[in-house]
Formats: sequence, structure tokens, C-alpha cells
Amino acid sequence: MSATVTEQGTPAGKPSGGIVVRDILKQFPGVVANHDVNITIRPGTVHALIGENGAGKSTLMKILYGVQRPDGGTIEVDGKQVRFSSPTDAIKAGIGMVFQHFMLADNLTVLENVVLGAEKLHGIGDEARAEITRISDAFGFGLDPDELVEDLGVGQRQRVEILKVLYRGAQIIILDEPTAVLVPQEVDALFANLRELRASGRTILFISHKLDEVLAIADDITVMRRGETVGEADPKTATKKQLAELMVGSELPSPETGESTVTDQVLLTLDDVGLVDERGRALLKNISFEIHRGEILGIAGVEGNGQEELVETIMGMRKGTGRITLDGKDIDSWDTRERREAGVAFIPADRHRHGLLLDFPLWENRILGHQTKEPSSNGFLITRKAAKESAEQIVADYDVRTPSINTNARALSGGNQQKFIVGREMSSDPSLLIASHPTRGVDVGAQAAIWDHIKRARREGLAVLLISADLDELIGLSDTIEVILRGEIVGTFDPQTVTPQDLGAAMTGGHSTEEGGAR
Amino acid sequence: MRRLSKISVVAVVALIALTGCGNKTDNKNDKTGSTANADVCKTAKGNGPKVGLAYDVGGRGDQSFNDSAYAGLKKAVGDLKATCVEGEATDGEAESARESRLKDMADAGMNPIIGVGFAYSDAVNAVAPNYPDISFGVIDGFDPDQTANKNVAYLGFAENEGSYLVGVAAALKSKAGHIGFVGGVHNDLIKKFEAGYVAGAKATKPDIKVDVKYIQESDLKGFGDPAGGQEAATAEFDNGADVVYHASGASGSGVFDAAVSAGDGKWAIGVDSDQYLTASDAQKPHILTSMLKRVDVATYDMIKSVADGSPLTSYQTYDLKKDGVGYAKSGGFVDDIASKIDEAATKIKSGEIKVPDKP
Amino acid sequence: MNTSKILRSVVQALLAPLIAVVVSMAVTSIVVVVAGASVGDFWDVIFKVPSHRNLVNITNQSALIFLAALAAAIGFRMNLFNIGIEGQYTLAAYTAALVAGQAWFPGKVNILVALLVAMAVGAAWAGIAGVLKVTRGVSEVISTIMLNAIAGTVVGYLLSNHGQQYGQGRRTTPIPESSQLAGWTPWKESDGAIWTLVILAVLAGVTISFLINRTRFGFDLRATGTNEDAAVVSGVEVKKMVVISMLISGAIAGLIWMPALFGGADYYGPPFQRTLGFTGIAVALLGRNRPLGIFFGAVLFAWLSEQANPLALVADISPSIVQITQGVVVLAVVVAYEVVRRWTAAYEQRELKAALDREAVSA
Repeated sequence: MSATVTEQGTPAGKPSGGIVVRDILKQFPGVVANHDVNITIRPGTVHALIGENGAGKSTLMKILYGVQRPDGGTIEVDGKQVRFSSPTDAIKAGIGMVFQHFMLADNLTVLENVVLGAEKLHGIGDEARAEITRISDAFGFGLDPDELVEDLGVGQRQRVEILKVLYRGAQIIILDEPTAVLVPQEVDALFANLRELRASGRTILFISHKLDEVLAIADDITVMRRGETVGEADPKTATKKQLAELMVGSELPSPETGESTVTDQVLLTLDDVGLVDERGRALLKNISFEIHRGEILGIAGVEGNGQEELVETIMGMRKGTGRITLDGKDIDSWDTRERREAGVAFIPADRHRHGLLLDFPLWENRILGHQTKEPSSNGFLITRKAAKESAEQIVADYDVRTPSINTNARALSGGNQQKFIVGREMSSDPSLLIASHPTRGVDVGAQAAIWDHIKRARREGLAVLLISADLDELIGLSDTIEVILRGEIVGTFDPQTVTPQDLGAAMTGGHSTEEGGAR
Repeated sequence: MRRLSKISVVAVVALIALTGCGNKTDNKNDKTGSTANADVCKTAKGNGPKVGLAYDVGGRGDQSFNDSAYAGLKKAVGDLKATCVEGEATDGEAESARESRLKDMADAGMNPIIGVGFAYSDAVNAVAPNYPDISFGVIDGFDPDQTANKNVAYLGFAENEGSYLVGVAAALKSKAGHIGFVGGVHNDLIKKFEAGYVAGAKATKPDIKVDVKYIQESDLKGFGDPAGGQEAATAEFDNGADVVYHASGASGSGVFDAAVSAGDGKWAIGVDSDQYLTASDAQKPHILTSMLKRVDVATYDMIKSVADGSPLTSYQTYDLKKDGVGYAKSGGFVDDIASKIDEAATKIKSGEIKVPDKP
Repeated sequence: MNTSKILRSVVQALLAPLIAVVVSMAVTSIVVVVAGASVGDFWDVIFKVPSHRNLVNITNQSALIFLAALAAAIGFRMNLFNIGIEGQYTLAAYTAALVAGQAWFPGKVNILVALLVAMAVGAAWAGIAGVLKVTRGVSEVISTIMLNAIAGTVVGYLLSNHGQQYGQGRRTTPIPESSQLAGWTPWKESDGAIWTLVILAVLAGVTISFLINRTRFGFDLRATGTNEDAAVVSGVEVKKMVVISMLISGAIAGLIWMPALFGGADYYGPPFQRTLGFTGIAVALLGRNRPLGIFFGAVLFAWLSEQANPLALVADISPSIVQITQGVVVLAVVVAYEVVRRWTAAYEQRELKAALDREAVSA
């Protein structure tokens, strides 16, 4: 996003920015990420690109933005064939991109963030400020150029990102899963902005896998599956069911857990747990809850409100204050390995960073996290045979699609990696499962399988701490939901009665909170 | 990608480490190339002694020790119709490599075989008994064990005597009554230089002040560290010294640079060979003299003794009397005091002055 | 199908080193030409059939280099850059020679004690860097380089102040004859003996290989090296691992000079062979930190150094020129592995594409 632009695109009002994508092919080592991809995006529309995670949406988007070059096929913008070798070229062609993860400097103001790398356009002074104010007013962003980004909420930050691409003259705006980080209220605000943009003649490519949202905002829909475009739909007539079937070729699974299996045996207790960072700021404050055997406790919250730290504290990777009790034993002084040996299983949020050794074969990944126990080792030696057998078992039981257990973890698709991790953690016969975004980035089939495994384990008396950004998943699976905000538990909800809107309000510190208690 | 860059970092570190140790390699290769045609061994076709000359690290072209030995060899080729082969040490080489080099020469029928530098002492001691008919010589060498070898000569120098003479020169030229010494490595050999230099200076001006600095405690890289030499010499110049004598091999160029930076009236004294001849134009006006260690004389002497049929054996000391040490007059800076230096030399030769070999 | 697969993996494994060797030969040839010497002479010398004496020396040197590279590889496997092998083995060699020279114990026991001392000293010296890293966050690259300098100075100081006069240098008291090992003389006595303690290299290689590949500790070490975050999540205490790895690396480094010490060097003094620690780092890279790869790398380096010895004598080129060959081969191997990895990936990709197409046709 650091490129500069020489001209400002066409004046607002007149639709432009039509894109025709033909027969795009993109291969990565071991994977064909895109093939036979064909999309026609009409200028001045909101075009939704839907598909399961791993369907190839992100790859296509990166190709459109010049981050990656296709191995075949053509792209036309406004009737002219283009070939991008870098995002700079894409920006010149009027294409802007808003990534899921914001690229903003917290300690700079909105103005500074916007002009950073585009100083040549309107300078860095009053002219730039005026332009930012003009864009902000035109689309109802309500941004103050001189406010520090660190003081902004998630929705506002996203608007800063959009403003950045508009400032650079984008006529076509690609939004990658823009709602993933937003609570429902913020989603509505975003959609209002998008409609304004469309009214100004801009073209929007909206990438998502949330069908409700797509139906609410899109003018056209293209569906991708397994790296190719498999169909188009008219949002006025299409139903969620039809779209879902296009996406996965089967019915949408539901996370519903059925009847409660919560027992009266408390397995995990957190008593006034707190955590401060090296600068003394509180990351976690006064966290207290209990999880019973057979219970799934869901933690809802906007990302970055202490979920990660909470998990790491329970896992023993961070040392906090307060008391953590596992199955009646005080485990505060235990290190991570001791906690794992005591039956704590962990599905990390970032599987590549925390859950796998990508360049190790699957069977060695079976050992990771369970180094000290059978079947991985006898305490001193790695028991290769047993570990391999167990890995074979996991591959079979959890439907991990892999040529062999000797294949490196990197070669597997995200969903299969995740299924393997879930299988690994489950087969260690745990008493507590900490599942952080267990179905993030996996396809629907895998998602259903993972839900099934969690539900089955719960029936067998497993206690589960579930952290998820997917409110449907949380509400569907959990027996209890706690909402975390700025490191504190701010509300307890009964998933039987709560709505995503209620949760959203609590997650952002809104109005209806405390009284939603379930117990 | 990340992994690749990480590996690259290590590779670069390793490479720096490798080349850092062999940094003398580069210029030497140039020299090898440029002097390859001038190699006297390629053209020598006499029927005199067949000489094997094994250089120390740096080899021919080091403008010092090894070149001096080569000069002696060249003279032998001219005067004694000698033929020759050469070998060269690499930095950090194994003891077995030195032995191999000598054995290769012996197997090729060379006689005498001369190792340049004390590092050949052990290797010669190990190899010589296997070749009783071949004479070996070691420049600066010594007998490492109690068993004397009948066919080995240890060619040593009275560096203290030569250093005494440049000490006299330094004392006479110093206006501040304050001079300095920079040693490469703080070992017994270099202490010998220091002892003679200090004695010569004090004998000339009893109240003279002498700063003494060593670049390294024991690491031989003190002989190849111009930056270290410059640092030590600069400190002495800053401290008030106006003449600095170095016994630090290739680090000496740093000492010369320090004299240049210190300005007019500041002198440096070279060592081993006449360093005025090889110094840069900027350095030349600051090189007062050099203490000469006539490795060429010793080398030639060794070859000649074999040619004459009475090979040198045991310890041989090349002192002033044998013209094994001396001082250089290039540049003409000591012409005015030459008579006084020569007077000291005469007294040393006659035994009137005994030069200490320990500080 | 299966044999072709095996064949392919063998080709893939050998391709990169082969490319690297060819590239380094080409570069060296160019340097030889620039230096004004004959390329033919040069390679004739390098590739001449080694004499018995050469073979003995190559074997002995390979063992030293192998130990040095092994020490480096242990760190590398865990992303620890122990640049301090040089200092560790210098200090260990000095201390072991000092202790053995005192002859406090009889004959072979003296050797065993000296070996233990060498390992302990090497480990302790490396351990300093490990402890500094985990307690103070000091990069081991910096601290080990500093420790190299300190080790050299300390040994030099001790030697020149407490060493035995030895020509114009100093040495430690030679080890008693009862503790000197005759070695194995496969040919004539004048061809030299293969040092008895070359066996240390074999033992260390097998032990470390087993430790890294078969034990839980080795798994933790490799996991930490490839993905530290995941290792932490899996329960590895990285700080502990850093210190232990440095200790092991240092202990192996401590052994580097032991075969030579008890094989004929007899004391620590001027003939001590320096720079093995840096050679070891290069060979570890060349061998991809795998004991077998390191073995071939060590033999290659030892071969080049030994065969290059008569270069000045025969071809009138400085033998130091093989240091260029050695340096280039290390750089080239890093690049070649990446290139081959990409070729392999592209090949697999085509395979997969072909498989997809077949599927599409049959569907």
C-alpha cells in the first residue's frame, strides 16, 4: 500500500471499473489454487465472491491486486487487458484493496496513516486534510483526520483503510472478508458505507463466506469451490440454501449441540486471574469462571480483547496472578508441559504458527505437544512405530486427506491440517480442551466434522473452553457464553436465549449487558 | 523464503569467518599471479644444490620474511647454480600439512630443505630423522626435543643487536626524549626486539622515556592486524612519543599510518626488511630506518654450506658480526647520525657492549 | 513406480551438492586463470590419487573437521548460531592438555579425565553464551564471537605466563608417554598413523544423530529450531533448551582437538591447529546440519586442504586458493538447495495438475 499514483481516476458518479476475469490458473507447490476462474464484474455494482475458506478466493484476490501473478488466463479492466506485476500496477489501474488485517500505524493520526506512501498526491498538509475530510463526508465515514488511530474502534479503522484506497484514486475496491472483524452493528454501518460508494459509481468486490451478508449487500454473486468458479447467482432470487449448496455441494451443517451434558463435576476453575504486560498494563483482570465436565464454555469477544492471553495463561505459557485449578489441583506453578500431561488439549488459533511443524511429516506432527506420552515416546525415546500407527489412525478417523503420513504438514490444505490437529488433540484422551477458533479457515465439510468431534467428546465428559469469532458457532456449541472485553468478563449469556445482536452489543461495551445472565 | 534468508545469513557469517582467517589470501593470490613469471625456480637450470624452500603463511610476495628468504634463494641460484622448488603454508593448517610439505620436497630429492619460520621447528624435527642424507634448515627455528638432529640447522638471529642500533637511532632523533615500541605478539621472540631497542635508547639517552605496547597477548593475528598496530602507535604518539619502532609484521603498515597521521616530525621504524622501499609515498617521509633481519643471508648461507659439502647443523646465530642483522639507510634520514650508530655496532661486534635479550 | 520414486529422491538429494561442487569448481578455475596459473595443473594436483600419507592425513583431518561441524550443527538445528566453536575448542584443548600434562592419573585414565575436562570446559564456555541469551537476551552470535576473543587472550596469557619455554614460544607440559596413543598405522610408519581418537568423531556422530532423530529431547530441539512458537505451545521450555543445546554443542567442540592431542601433538603450543571452529561452521552448512552430510563435507574439506598442499611446489599457485573453493561450495550449496527445492516443487505441482486433469476427465 505504499505505492504512489499519478492520476485520480474518473470523476465520481459515472460508473467505471468493470473487470472481466477469464480462465485464471494459479498453481502453488503441491496445490492448484485457482483454475478455470471466470468472473464478470459490472461497473458500479457490489459483486460478492463467495466460497468456503480454501476455495481460492484469497488467491484470486491477490492476483487481482498484483500480489501474485497468474500462471494462465487474462484480466481486463474497463475493456483493456492488464497485467499486474505488483500492487503498484493495480493501484495505477484504479484497484484498491482492504485487507482483513489492517495495516495501520497505531501511533499515527488518520491523516498520517492515509498519506503515508502517497505523499505526492496532495502533500501531507492542509490539502491532504481537506481531501480526507471531503472523502469522509462524501461517504459518511465520520473520520477526524487528526485523531490517533489507536483511539479508533475496529469499524472506524476499517473505514480508514477504505479511505486510504479511495484517497489513492481507487475505482474498484476489493474487500477481503471485511465483516470478519466486526460485530453486527458495525456490519450494518459498513454496508451503509458500501452503498454510498456504489452510488458514487465505484465498483466493489466483496469477499465473504457469510451468506446473510452477501444476500443483503450484493448485486451479483459468484461462487467459488475448490479453486474454480462454479456458478453465479442473483441475490434477489437466490436463497441461502441454494448458495450453500453451490458452495459445498451439500447441505449446511449446524453447530447445534442438542441436549445438555453438563455434569456437576467442576474440572477447571479460574479464580480472579489477572495478567499484566511488561509495561504494567492489565491484559486480563479479575477473570473467574468454572467449566464442568461435559460443558462447553464459549468466550465471545472482539479479537484482541484478551482471548489469546487468557488461553496462554491457562496453558501456562504466560504467568498471571490469581488461581487456576484443574480437576481439584492447583496448577499455577505448573509449566506448559505439566499441564498438557495432566490432560489439557489445545487447538491453537493460528495453526501454522502454534499448531504444526510445517516441514515435518504428519507422523512427527502427531508427536508435537504430546512428546512425553505414549504413543509418542516412552519418556526418553521417540516411539516411531506407535506414533506412526497413531497418526494413521487419526488420518483415518478424522478424514484427513493426505497421500500418506510421511507427507509434510505444509502440503495439506488448511482444513485437513486443522482436522489433523483436532484429531491429535482428541486422541490424547484429554479432560480439558481449549479450542481457539477451531473451525477458522476450514471448509464446511471439515467444519461439520470438527463440530461433531467436539460434541462427541463433550458427551463423553470433556470440558471445553471454546473461543470463536463466529457467533453462530459459539451460540450453537456452547452451554454457557462469557463475553470478554478489554481483558475482563463483562457478561454471561445463555446460548438458548441470546441473539448475535445481544452478544455484539456486549462485545463492544454497548447497552444491554449484565442482565443477560444464564445461571 | 524466510528460511532461505536465515541460511544465507549463516552462510555469510561462515564466509566472513573463513575469509576473515584467510584474509591474507587475497593479496597473496595477486602476488602469486604477478610474480609467477618472475619465479626464479621456473627458470633455474644449474647443477648446483637442489633447494626446497617452504614458506610460512603469506608465502612469496609478503614483502617481509618470506620475500627475504626468496632473495637469498635467488642469490644462490645466481651464484651457486642452485635449482629449487617452493612450498607455502596456509593459515590454520595442520601440523601434518607442514610435515607433508617437507616430505614432498625430500622425496623429490631436494637438499637442503629450508623451512621459513619457527613454525617449521616441530615438522622438521619429525621429518629429518627419516632423511638422514638431507640437510634441513629452519629460520628462527629451535630443537623441540632433547634428541639432537645431526642434519638440522637452526638459523637464529640476534634481533636484539639490530634493535639496539635502531634504539640508538630513535634516541638520537627524538626531540621529545620520548619514544615508543609496538610489538605484534607478546612472546619471547618479540620481547627480544623490545629489550635491544630499549637498551640502545637508554644507552644513548639515559633519561629517555620508552612506551611499550603489544597488539596481542598470544594470538598470532597480532602480526596481521594493521588496525591494531595503528591504534597502539597512535596511543604512543598521543602520549608524547615522536619515534615508534614496530616489531609486528604486517601490522606495521598501521604503525606507519599512525606516524603519517601524527604529522611532521613523527617517525616510525620498520622491521625485518628495508620497509622504506615498500612503503607508500605518504609513509616514506616518516620511515626513519628499519631494523634488518637478514633472512636472505641465512638462507644463502645454508645453501652455500651444502654446496660446499659442509652443511650447517645445530644452532647458528646471525648477529651483527655475521651481517645477520643491521639497519637500513634508505631515505637518508639517518645519514647525519650514521657514524654514531656504526660506532655502537662496532662496540657490539667487539663485545664491548653486551645487548640484553630479555626486557 | 516405487523404484522410480526412490531414484527420484536420490537424484533430488544429490543434485544440490553436485551443482554446488560444479559451480565452485568453475569459480575456482576462473580464479586460477586470473592468477595466471594453469587450470589443468591445478586440478591435476587436487584430483591426483592420494598417497598413503595423504590418506592418513585426510582421515585425521576429516575427524577434526567433522567434530567441529557437528558442534555447529547442533546449534543450527535449533536456530542457535554458535559462532564460538573456535574459542570453545581452543580453551578446551588448552585445559585438557594442561591437565593431561600434569599426569595426575595413570595412562589411559589420564586420557579419559582429559576428555571429560575438555568437554566440560567447552560446554561451560558455550554455556556462558546460552545463559546470557536466556537471562539477558544477548544474541549468541555476538556473545560467542566475543567469547572467542576472550578465550584466545586468556589461553595466550596463561601460556606465556605459566607455559613451558619452547623455542621462542611456550607450550604446556607434554603429556606423559603412557598417555600417548600410537594410533593405527595402515601402511609404512613414515606414512603416519591414523589417530586412535578419530573414533571420537564416529562415536559423537552416531550419538548426536541418535539423540536428534530418535529421542524426545531431539524432537524438542528440532521442533524449537523449525518453529519456536509451536514448540512453546507443545510444552518445550525454550530457555532450558537453549542452555542445554549450547552445553552439548560446546562439549562436542571441546573434543575437536583431542584426537590430535593424544595422537602425536602431545601438548598445547605453537603447532596447535587454529580456525577449525570456523571451518566447522562452513562444513555444517555444507552438510545441511545432518551428520551424514557433514561427514561428506568434512572429507571434502580435508581432501581439498591436503591435496592442495603441493600446489605451490607443482603448479606455482598458493594452496590458499582452495579456501576459495571451500567458500564458494558453501555458498553454492545454499543456493543450489533452494533451486532444487523449487524445481521439485514445480515438478510435484505438474504431477498434481496432471492428476487433477485425469480426475476431471474421468468425472
